Amino acid sequence: MENIHIEGKHGVNFIPTVDFNVETGVCELAGESYLEDTIEFYTPLYDWLKQYTTEVKKPLIFNFRLRYFNTSSSKCIIDILNILKRYEAAGGDVKVNWYYDADEEDIEDELEEIEDFMIETNIKINLVPN
Amino acid sequence: MNTAENAYQMYIDLIDSTIISYNGPFDAQVLSVIAENIEYSLSNNPRVSKKLFKIFIELAQNISYYSAERQKNDEGNLYGVGILMLREFKDHYSFSTGNLIEKKHILPVIQKCETINILDRQKLRQYKRKLRNMPSGVPGGGNIGLVQVALTADYPLEYSVVPVDDENSFYILNVRVNKN
Repeated sequence: MENIHIEGKHGVNFIPTVDFNVETGVCELAGESYLEDTIEFYTPLYDWLKQYTTEVKKPLIFNFRLRYFNTSSSKCIIDILNILKRYEAAGGDVKVNWYYDADEEDIEDELEEIEDFMIETNIKINLVPN
Repeated sequence: MNTAENAYQMYIDLIDSTIISYNGPFDAQVLSVIAENIEYSLSNNPRVSKKLFKIFIELAQNISYYSAERQKNDEGNLYGVGILMLREFKDHYSFSTGNLIEKKHILPVIQKCETINILDRQKLRQYKRKLRNMPSGVPGGGNIGLVQVALTADYPLEYSVVPVDDENSFYILNVRVNKN
């Protein structure tokens, strides 16, 4: 099983930076997510997480450091959280952190969105101010 | 005022208030240019700039996916065609979009707008969570862009549908965001 590294890009589309590390079990999704084909981008990430949580089965820390994501990306975030929730329910060691900028202008909206993620997936997300 | 003067005043008002106006296919390239323009034009008000950016992305993607009028871009891919205007008024900004929609889609679209407008913020978040859990492509479900637009805007959605011909109507949506 290999690590995933995708360098984020703020161009025609906004591609988030991805770092999934099989040795440390630390997974990061950072930057901005707004893509033309969201599912195509996220599917390999789901596959990696499914393989890690069913074959490697070591502790997993997922760090979100997203500044912006559109609604299509928010569906994919839900899918990621659901995979992590299933791993947790099966006895896996999972920790989810959401890093946010307390000075961000629309911080209330962002916190509301994270609360919605928790309600929808039933997984605990630790809010970590930058 | 005579008709000519009236028309001139309308023209002046429109020019004065308009920050961005666009008419054509909503492909990724166009979206990125407009998005950049929004960030640049409103750089002195980051809160509003981010709100308008978020609203723009969802409105533009709706046109791109759902407009009944489609056009090929330079790479030969089909994209929805529509119009978009961002205008500045005394105490608010206003986004207006318009695109053709097939007659059979009018009712679900209007019902969605009506549902969104009668819900308070907590109920709207509930509705968004419900829609997000429905698979894409299910009639009336899937797409949560408009719900997100309503959560981001400061006013109810303003919408209307104008008949065009036997098959299509023109769907207009107006979204307002306060300056402060």
